[in-house]
Amino acid sequence: MADSLRWLPLLLELAWLLPLGSFVLIVFFGPLMGKGGRGAGWLATAAIMCSFVLSIAAATVWLSEHPLVHSSARDGSEHDCGASADEHCPAVAHKRAVPAAIFVERYVLAQFDQLRLSVAYWIDALTVAMFCMVTLVASCIHVYSTGYMHEELHEVTDQQVRTADGTALRRPGRYCRFFQYLSLFCFSMLGLVLAGNLAMVFAFWELVGICSYLLIGFYFERRSASLAANKAFIVNRVGDFGMLVGLMAAWSGFGTLALGDTTDAQGRLVQRGIFSQVRPAEADYRLTVPDGMVRMAAAEEISAMVANAHARRPAGEQGQFVEQHKATVDQWQSAEQQSAAAARWQSSEQPKAAAAQRWSVERRQPAAEAQVADRLPWWRSQGYGYWLLVIAGLGLFCGCVGKSAQFPLMVWLPDAMEGPTPVSALIHAATMVAAGVYLVARLYPMFAPEVLLVIACIGCLTLFIAATIAITATDIKRVLAYSTVSQLGYMMFALGVGGWLAGLFHLFTHAFFKALLFLCSGSVIHACGTNDMTQMGGLRRKMPWTAYTMLVGCLAICGAGVPLVVGLSGYYSKDAILAQALSFRAANPAWGGIVVVAFLGAGITAFYMFRMWLMTFAGQPRDKHIYQHAHESPLVMVGPLVVLAILAVVSGWPVPGTALSLESLLEQARPAGAAAGLDQGVLVAGLVIPDEHLSHENPVFHTSAALTAFAVSLLGVLLAAVFYGLPWLDPQVIRRAFAPIYSLLVNKWWLDEIYHYMLVAPTLRLSQLAAWLDRRAIDWLADGLARATALVAQLDDRFDRLVVDRAIDHAADWTYAFGLRLRRVQTGNIRQYLMVLAAGTVALFLLVSWFWR
Amino acid sequence: MEAINWHSVFFYLFAALACGAAAAVVLCGNIVRMAFALVAALGAVAGLFFLAGADFLGALQLLVYVGGTMVLLVFGVMLTSHSPLFALRSGAGHWIAAVVIGACLLTVLLRAALAANAWASPPPPQQLPPRLQPTTSQIGLALLGVRTDKLDRPDPVLQKGMCGYLLPFEIASVHLLVVLIGAMFLARTKRRMAATGSGSNSSQSIPRQLEIGNANRPHDAQNPTCTPPGE
Amino acid sequence: MNPFTEPIGVTHYLCVGAVLMVCGMLCMFTKRNALGVLMGIELVLNAANVNLVAFGSSWLRADAARSIALDGQLLAMFVIVLAAAEAAVALAIVLCYYNTQATVDVDKASKLKG
Repeated sequence: MADSLRWLPLLLELAWLLPLGSFVLIVFFGPLMGKGGRGAGWLATAAIMCSFVLSIAAATVWLSEHPLVHSSARDGSEHDCGASADEHCPAVAHKRAVPAAIFVERYVLAQFDQLRLSVAYWIDALTVAMFCMVTLVASCIHVYSTGYMHEELHEVTDQQVRTADGTALRRPGRYCRFFQYLSLFCFSMLGLVLAGNLAMVFAFWELVGICSYLLIGFYFERRSASLAANKAFIVNRVGDFGMLVGLMAAWSGFGTLALGDTTDAQGRLVQRGIFSQVRPAEADYRLTVPDGMVRMAAAEEISAMVANAHARRPAGEQGQFVEQHKATVDQWQSAEQQSAAAARWQSSEQPKAAAAQRWSVERRQPAAEAQVADRLPWWRSQGYGYWLLVIAGLGLFCGCVGKSAQFPLMVWLPDAMEGPTPVSALIHAATMVAAGVYLVARLYPMFAPEVLLVIACIGCLTLFIAATIAITATDIKRVLAYSTVSQLGYMMFALGVGGWLAGLFHLFTHAFFKALLFLCSGSVIHACGTNDMTQMGGLRRKMPWTAYTMLVGCLAICGAGVPLVVGLSGYYSKDAILAQALSFRAANPAWGGIVVVAFLGAGITAFYMFRMWLMTFAGQPRDKHIYQHAHESPLVMVGPLVVLAILAVVSGWPVPGTALSLESLLEQARPAGAAAGLDQGVLVAGLVIPDEHLSHENPVFHTSAALTAFAVSLLGVLLAAVFYGLPWLDPQVIRRAFAPIYSLLVNKWWLDEIYHYMLVAPTLRLSQLAAWLDRRAIDWLADGLARATALVAQLDDRFDRLVVDRAIDHAADWTYAFGLRLRRVQTGNIRQYLMVLAAGTVALFLLVSWFWR
Repeated sequence: MEAINWHSVFFYLFAALACGAAAAVVLCGNIVRMAFALVAALGAVAGLFFLAGADFLGALQLLVYVGGTMVLLVFGVMLTSHSPLFALRSGAGHWIAAVVIGACLLTVLLRAALAANAWASPPPPQQLPPRLQPTTSQIGLALLGVRTDKLDRPDPVLQKGMCGYLLPFEIASVHLLVVLIGAMFLARTKRRMAATGSGSNSSQSIPRQLEIGNANRPHDAQNPTCTPPGE
Repeated sequence: MNPFTEPIGVTHYLCVGAVLMVCGMLCMFTKRNALGVLMGIELVLNAANVNLVAFGSSWLRADAARSIALDGQLLAMFVIVLAAAEAAVALAIVLCYYNTQATVDVDKASKLKG
């Protein structure tokens, strides 16, 4: 490792731990920091800003060691680093190279045989970029929050919560608490990004979940907020169940949870990590089912081999099957003709046997083990264990589905709007939902083509459903929430069709413009005091900064730009996704349908985003009262908007005159061999995940994607303008004309209702049945038992009184009476005592002489 | 006809005197007579000691018992002798029980005394030492820790003349001192109370005495005899 | 057999001791006067002294070398000393008792009976 790279883990570690420090400080000293805890906000903001500075420093260090090449010159001269572990090697030209990465084990928490639970970091270009993005967006949100949450500095009257006597709830402000949660949230997300093994990933994964729970339920007095928090948490549990399954499958298959290879102090390989197991360099980075999974799948064959080896072993031959040796050695010793063989075996095999006994069946039989090892490639070529890899991938993706609000589990994200708006921005842009996409991208090497296909389908379904729902939503934050779900669908879709870079690129650009859009909506809500777009309108005259920065956000999310020349950040990322989709369609004509949906989604996105913008800022005010009270937000809120707006515009561009761009930075982290057109589907015949480079290099895909997306988006914008900007058409007419579709959309495809009737209601009924059973059967039984116990106790009590007590009383009485009688013996008469003494002496003498004869 | 063994004669004489006087002590009802019978018995025992060759012990018996203890006893008798106390007699039942137990005890003791043959066989007259050997100096040396009477025994410790009684001697002397102080204390404090009480009436009673004790308190308070602690 | 011509042995002394002992015990049993009891005690102690002296005497037994020799006399001496001490204390107690109770009847001294 180069010297400067040695500082990288430390820099990122500091950047990661600073929010934790802020969290701890605010927990203990928050209320003491200024009036109402004002200092807590500054502390948290300062912490995250320091993290940002450190992340930038880390990025600088990284870039100084890994100079970027221009994205167009990517083909043959790619930058490359040898080992994935601590060692950094000079560039070696290789078509499919292992990305430069640092795997550091900071501290081993525990080691169970092979499973090491450690605090480990996996640092590559993606980690560095994520750190920069998360800390930047979080910094903006922190600054914005100091303005947005100022009401919490003093006592709050919550008009949405009525106390028992009908008045509005009054409660102390929770300014400190808000910032302490924000800090914890940032810490969790950064830890997730930095994590070097799946156990740590899971821990921070859950920490992110709990932070989102706390923040969504920030106004927990509101029933809707507490329900939304519960919903987010419970729905995520469903996903996490799948994730646990995936984790267990991964652990049992790989024998480790570490992403990189574990080495000891001398740099020797201790244990191969997940990535090098699943994409071994020997196999030219093709997807390889790890040995553990092959063995598990071929368990029957292995045991048969073991049995054969056992049966074939000649009696005197040295050790094949130690167990049998041990069992039969006594017989040998008794049988004289074989005693020589037994002695030979004993002398040579005994120590080995003792050592080997601890190990598994295969290890106990070296010969059989050798056979098994010989057969492993053949089994692997026959697809043994492949399904296990698929299950591991699907399970892990299941967790991502929950966290990133993908199709079956997307219902929680719109409800999560109950939290304060900066929280929504943080969840939607940088932390919670990004975690799912990030994890899919991080574990990309271990996803089989079938898993990627599932990811693509899920993403496609999600983007379409969410986009359609967003059309009819009137709550400004809900529109944005569905937009987020839809864009996350895009990312998943991109990852699924092989666009690793495209998906991540979109994650980054989306983070900027979605944070921008949310903060803008927060500004609007702050100004109007309502979320309902039907009460807004014409606000651009009152709050121009908000309006135009939001317009930038809308344009960015639509992918606006001059096709093939220049565009906002969304243009580049969406373009990359769609080009990859076209590439995928060319490679798999059977699955081309989903590509069409992706293009359709682009149009719908443009439509609902401009519908939202036009309804909010353009036209005439719909509610005079709200309009009159609306005002531009203070500088601390507008400042972040401007910063984010600039980023939303430029984050897709390379730095002029250099090769430095987000895309080329991420390109450095591209997993070796993943999405390189190498892997063929095994379970789904003919499935090919095309190489992402193809879509870049082939101008046909690129051009057609850019033009089509532009056309579709333009169509969406125009439609929005027709309905809402230039009210040539009344939306009501369309609504009536397509009443069934409208009700489908306005009811969010009845997903909540379906879940209610399919899952919640049966569960409730089951629990009611259980409760009934409890009351009728188990309670009856318990009551009966209690009654029987009471009866027995009464009997016992009577027995106690009549027998035991009486016996004891009698004994006591008797003792007392005896004592009374015995008392008279002590007369106080000395002479009597003397006489008794003498008589006793005589008696003793007689006794002794009698027995001592 | 053998010659009369005067040793035996005197033994029987003193033995009879001792036993008779002892029986007299038992049988007498008068405490003063009992005291004089006891003096006789103890004197006879002193004679027996002389006959056994324990000259110093016999003298000690005469000095301490007859001369000291008996004087003390008689002194006590005279201090406590009032006419009603002379006739303190036990009942017949007590006497019967006492005689029965005494007979049993006597039987047991005599049986034990006659059981050992070695004790029953006195030495032939020619083995007896020709004349009385004074034991005074031997006892004095023994009390100072040197034994001279067992130098012929095979035990090497005894041959060195060790195994004396120096420590018991010291303990006994300290014991005597303590007893002296204790007896003085016991008798002195009460005597003062008794002296004030007996001056008014011979037939005292406890409440009366307590009254007197209380009456004395103010006097004590005026002339404080108690010394401050620590002096 | 004329007793006056036979030499005296330890047994004779032991018999005298036994008689003295029994007389002392009887004295203690039968006297209600505390001083009488004390006299009985003196008799008992003297009986013991007689025995000790007899055991230690070299004139009274054939195997004088095995006797306790001077130990008997020394023990008897300590007994005398202790008896004197005991007599002093006992008399003091009796006087005390007499001063408080105006009697020397030991049968009356039964306040601590059960």
